[in-house]
Amino acid sequence: MRKTLSEEQLESVISYILIIGVIGSVAIETLGILTYYYSNGNLNIVFQPEYALKGADFFSYARTIFLESLQLRWEPFQILGLGMVLLMITPYMRVAASVIYFGLVKNLKYLFITLFVLVILTTSLLVH
Amino acid sequence: MIDMLTVLAISILAGFLGALTGLGGGSIMTPILVEFGVPVKYAIAASMVTIIATSSGSAASYVKQRITNVKAAFYLEMFTITGAIVGATITAFIQPRLLYFFFAAFLLTSFYGLSGHLKEDFPKAVKQDRFSKWLELHGSYYDQAARKQVKYKMTNAHLGGLGMLVAGLAAGMLGIGAGAFKVSVHELILKMPSKVSSTTSNFIIGITALAGASVYFASGLLFVGLAAPMAVGTTVGAVVGGRLLNRFPNRLVRYLFLIIVFVLVVQMLYRGITLQ
Repeated sequence: MRKTLSEEQLESVISYILIIGVIGSVAIETLGILTYYYSNGNLNIVFQPEYALKGADFFSYARTIFLESLQLRWEPFQILGLGMVLLMITPYMRVAASVIYFGLVKNLKYLFITLFVLVILTTSLLVH
Repeated sequence: MIDMLTVLAISILAGFLGALTGLGGGSIMTPILVEFGVPVKYAIAASMVTIIATSSGSAASYVKQRITNVKAAFYLEMFTITGAIVGATITAFIQPRLLYFFFAAFLLTSFYGLSGHLKEDFPKAVKQDRFSKWLELHGSYYDQAARKQVKYKMTNAHLGGLGMLVAGLAAGMLGIGAGAFKVSVHELILKMPSKVSSTTSNFIIGITALAGASVYFASGLLFVGLAAPMAVGTTVGAVVGGRLLNRFPNRLVRYLFLIIVFVLVVQMLYRGITLQ
């Protein structure tokens, strides 16, 4: 670990997290839409409760969808769900990165502020 | 019933216009989807997630250019996420009819956003209060148009926080970024320079949207079949719009956007009134 971490490095890390998250999720969603068309023969959107994203909470949904995706069954809703999870986790990761940064540079004020944001988001994502 | 291809086409257009006008496509997306028969709460929930993509995509480059004030963003996010969670919770429970009226009222504020903000502003000699100083709310960036390093200080952090709570509430309730409102708070209350203001607002929008989206996820209002083509479409539209930004006459784009907003306001009001 380098001794002096600059705010510039944090900004650089944040920038990478955001760009990877967005490009990754858009690519996965595109693949999901194509797979949906391939397996259904149409692109109709169905608004039945069973097609809404759901899980015990966001994190357990994310874990389930990630583990299922590893089996590569090319199930459209799995792929679409994976893209959604990646998209939603992107801003969350940048807050987490900021908490770590302010902890490392011992800026207690901003450690507290970013931690507050992280705790609120985590709580809200855990609510069922 | 609407299909993904139609949603994709609408989103590309909304993302494109959003990038050209700087107002974000979120606010016009929902009313258009509603016209196509999508239930208003589903449209709002999907918009909320979509905004994460457009905001994060453009934030990535602004942060790298060091224009965004990340400290101000972190401080203000405490308020926007709290507002967004409350706002989204309200939407999950209230009558859909009321949402039409709230939406129409909000769209009207975009007229203000479009009329102003044409001139570049560098607030001078800002007297920083103690709280803002304690929060280290100052910074500098290189302004390419003015060809100089701009140094600035912010003030009124406590009032700015309050303004952001309201912005977060509107964002969470309507599934929008509320960018124009945030920018106004940044410039009028906190005294941020224009460029810092809009890029910082963009940065905050991603987190605010996640806070709202978390509530919509828990409420079972989030349909990936709707959200996926929206996320892809608005991102593609925004990238293309951003690249063509200087090729379109600013006036023409703004008039076009104003006409769309006007039609949408009328339609949302009409729906709100005639809904049983």
